Amino acid sequence: MAGPLTSPTTAPTASPLSPGKRSARVFARAGVLLLKWASLLALLLALVFLTVELLPGDAATATSERGESAADLAARRELLGLDRPVLERFLDWMTGLPTGDLGTSARGEQVTDLLSSAFPNTLLLGAIALLLTAVLSLALGCWAALRPGGRLDRTVSGAATAVLALPEFVVAVALVLVLSLWTGWLPAVTLTDADGSPASWDMLVLPALALTVPQTGWNTRIVRAALADEARTPHVESAVLDGLPPHRVLTHHVLPGALPAVAAGLATSTGMLLGGAVVVETIFNYPGIGSVLASAVADRDSPVIAGVTALSGAVITVVLLLADLVRDVVTGGRR
Amino acid sequence: MSTTRRRAGLAVRLLPALLLTGLALVGPWITPHAVDAPVTAPYGEAGAGGTLLGGDQLGRDVLSRLLAGGRDLVLSSLLVALLVTGTAAVLGAIGAVRPLVGRVVERIADVLMLLPAVLGILLVTLSWPGGGRLAVIAAAVVLGVPYAVRLAAGAAAPIAGAGYVEAAAAGGERLWYLVVREILPNLRAVLLALFGLRFVAAVYLVATAGFLQVGPQPPAADWALMIRENSSGILLNPWSVVAPGIAIGLLALSVNLAAATLAPQTGRKAVTVL
Repeated sequence: MAGPLTSPTTAPTASPLSPGKRSARVFARAGVLLLKWASLLALLLALVFLTVELLPGDAATATSERGESAADLAARRELLGLDRPVLERFLDWMTGLPTGDLGTSARGEQVTDLLSSAFPNTLLLGAIALLLTAVLSLALGCWAALRPGGRLDRTVSGAATAVLALPEFVVAVALVLVLSLWTGWLPAVTLTDADGSPASWDMLVLPALALTVPQTGWNTRIVRAALADEARTPHVESAVLDGLPPHRVLTHHVLPGALPAVAAGLATSTGMLLGGAVVVETIFNYPGIGSVLASAVADRDSPVIAGVTALSGAVITVVLLLADLVRDVVTGGRR
Repeated sequence: MSTTRRRAGLAVRLLPALLLTGLALVGPWITPHAVDAPVTAPYGEAGAGGTLLGGDQLGRDVLSRLLAGGRDLVLSSLLVALLVTGTAAVLGAIGAVRPLVGRVVERIADVLMLLPAVLGILLVTLSWPGGGRLAVIAAAVVLGVPYAVRLAAGAAAPIAGAGYVEAAAAGGERLWYLVVREILPNLRAVLLALFGLRFVAAVYLVATAGFLQVGPQPPAADWALMIRENSSGILLNPWSVVAPGIAIGLLALSVNLAAATLAPQTGRKAVTVL
């Protein structure tokens, strides 16, 4: 839930430069950002490995059956490569990740194979939910900002605050009950095609909505706050004094300056959406990482969750990097 | 607005959260039926066998399990919120006096931005199969502290720069004295608000862990677990799913309302405190 909205990077202090110099600067800046996020991702991956390693219990004991002898256990440790030195396994895990090798599950399957069809489905669901969240929160935030402090503003802000703390599975159950079981408008369960993707588009609606509702609450507040901050800047005040109509002031003078904060807020929602997707997918039987993780939970299969965490960490890194670049592009030329 | 009216408004906003957490805490003692024995048919409809809200997937009384199923969620969340707030307060105050500590915590918070909390909980509970409830609480604390430290450090920084703290530091007072006697007492309002926000976050995480079956295990009565277990019978006895759903929803809403009330109102910027 509570994600930070601050991004540690600061806008470059661009003086009037020739176009060539400016693009060189932008590239250098993008390189620095890339390096920063890549090193943070590497730290996360090391942290994931340490968590699995240091906590008591490993993949071999987790899947052991009752009455299994110590020799059997040792044999499976050897099969899973758990008998090798920690440092060697750490280097294997870290060097394997960039090549798409996410490790071996406790059952001996490649984690990459388990996720190859599931992860794209989750990404599709998450992307739809992120798009819906962006559209809805921008629309609601701008609508509320047209009359600051008015009844509509207070209603939107109040509703946004109310829904942002709701767990996704509670929203999902409510949606299923109303939109599926009572009215019969939308399917409550996702059926899959032969290739493992959802059979029709309307099966995506309810899972995406369940993810969107809490995140829209969260992002509407960010949009509203960013617009209010930007509305206090001198260039907006002068636009208002020039007698421009409110909606024009909003779209041409307030919104552009508020975009970096909005992009940063939406980027931090990516993590919440991926986490929420795990929960929502189990409710709708959606063929994504949620169902892979559900069986991992039953098996206490830690390598699988480590692989999923690494993969989603990479996705979130890319999105946060993009949000940083948006900030640079928007603020770089002006400030 | 007069002080009494403001106080009354404050009480009205805090009351739902206090009532609901209170009810969840005493609930296990006031159940009309046993929580672990069937009293009606599986998914028996409301009213059957003297049950107000019908039966669950084994025919156990939904109302009794509803009353019994909130205490652990509330207690775990309170514990997480307390631990996170306490740790963050001390670390934040230290970070304000010792900038190096502040920078390290800042980097860790950056890294944890890449780890969705739900996946973090799953990572810890699956890597630590024997951890049980302790694993969930530990994971929720570890995942919550870095964000909370940012807030606490932000609030502590101006205080650490205040004349009397600098005077005490120049006078050779030890670090713990500066933190405990000079800085923390001045952070009371911020820490109260922080506690509220962390409670909201903890309810979300602990409930989600329960739903993902890495928290309380069957046959325990738990709101999140009830939703998971009874979802296949939602058409036969909707109450078996709707009632715990409403309970979790109301808990999240009321605690969130209380937290928003406690948060310092410093204009629109206050929104980013969440």
